[in-house]
Amino acid sequence: MAHSEHHHHSHSEISNTSAPSYFDVMEAAVQELLIEKGLIKPGEIRRQIEVLDSRTPALGAKVVARAWIDPEFRQRLLENGRAACEELDISFYDDTQLVVLENTPRVHNLVVCTLCSCYPRPVLGLPPDWYKLKPYRARAVYEPRAVLAEFGTHVPDDVEVRVSDSTAMVRYLVLPMRPESTEHLNEEQLAALVTRDSMIGVVPALNSDGGV
Amino acid sequence: MNELSQNDLSKSEQPVAALGEIPAFGPGDQVRILTRSPIGHYRVPSYLRGQRATVLSVVRPRAIDNEEEGYGKNAGWKGYYYRIAVPMASIWSSYNGSSSDRLQIDIFETWLAGE
Amino acid sequence: MSGSEHLLTRLPNDIGGLPADQISRVEHELEPWEKRCHALADVLDYHKIINTEEKRRGVEALGSEVIAHLSYYERWIAAFANILFEKGILTPEELARKMEAVEQNWAATLSEVERRMGS
Repeated sequence: MAHSEHHHHSHSEISNTSAPSYFDVMEAAVQELLIEKGLIKPGEIRRQIEVLDSRTPALGAKVVARAWIDPEFRQRLLENGRAACEELDISFYDDTQLVVLENTPRVHNLVVCTLCSCYPRPVLGLPPDWYKLKPYRARAVYEPRAVLAEFGTHVPDDVEVRVSDSTAMVRYLVLPMRPESTEHLNEEQLAALVTRDSMIGVVPALNSDGGV
Repeated sequence: MNELSQNDLSKSEQPVAALGEIPAFGPGDQVRILTRSPIGHYRVPSYLRGQRATVLSVVRPRAIDNEEEGYGKNAGWKGYYYRIAVPMASIWSSYNGSSSDRLQIDIFETWLAGE
Repeated sequence: MSGSEHLLTRLPNDIGGLPADQISRVEHELEPWEKRCHALADVLDYHKIINTEEKRRGVEALGSEVIAHLSYYERWIAAFANILFEKGILTPEELARKMEAVEQNWAATLSEVERRMGS
């Protein structure tokens, strides 16, 4: 640590480049050693970074919008989430299955991973920090309505809250309800209404007037 | 030997599944999450130990027990996970919400017993 | 319970149902090394050098004190190092030497940049 701080101070006046942190150095060292030993190839890491960069909530939004306009696709999506996403050329780069949880006027779904940070990365990208931190993980399973309220979502008493604790080989994606007054919108415009948080289940999808 | 294999052929209409090949539970079955305290690694959160649950579905394909996978077992015998539902009100005695609110989770078969 | 067994029987990451603060909706763009670390995790799993479940177990094995103070990807890389030592794929000495070399390379690159900038 002292070593890298020394670099940082001695060069900071003339360069914005700050010394790599201890953990940054450790990551680089592990990677180099594994490459030298022939266990992984440098191109694999670069390629996987491209894979990660290409996965954003826009993919999940595309899936949701399609399900809103195409009832048969919606049916296939609810039966086998992974296969339906693959129809839209969204590949699953890992061994995970995808279960799509449909919100209805009677049911509100919420996804959490209490043990770590399981998340449908192929369709949403990497999770936000709050999803990985203790308050959300600890509380979502025993006071989901209070947690939802902190996101501004008030679920009426006659709507059943279903919390999915995602801990194994299945990942969960919430299919939010299509907001009202969106009949005139095309698929692309509908996709623009679908936020990441609505697919985690902490907020509803809203129309352009902010209505559900 | 010859006689035996002929007999086997004539009887082979019904294939016999290997142990563990057929799911032990199906949708609607009542199960109990076992109460045990492994150390080292587990994927059954403490807050659910001992709870009664309803099976929603069988997770396919089968998978390696994640307690063993955590120590580097990458191949070999696989078993089923079951997606189950537990009423929130039975997990938390002071649950503040609707009585129909529920928790859903996937639990490996070694952690479930029939009711 | 005699009082200490819960330190073993409740894993540090098993926090569902525990009292906790209000949710603060924090997010940050991953730093380059964090993204590299995530990509490394995926590649290690593809080759089953360290599978995803081993990574989770390796993080838990760091213990609650370390987990509480390290950031998300700091835990991952520390867990990877430990697991690679356990498997005999790397030795602590190798890693220490390589880390020193990485730092020296970085310093050398920086002085080259500074030289070109005419400092």
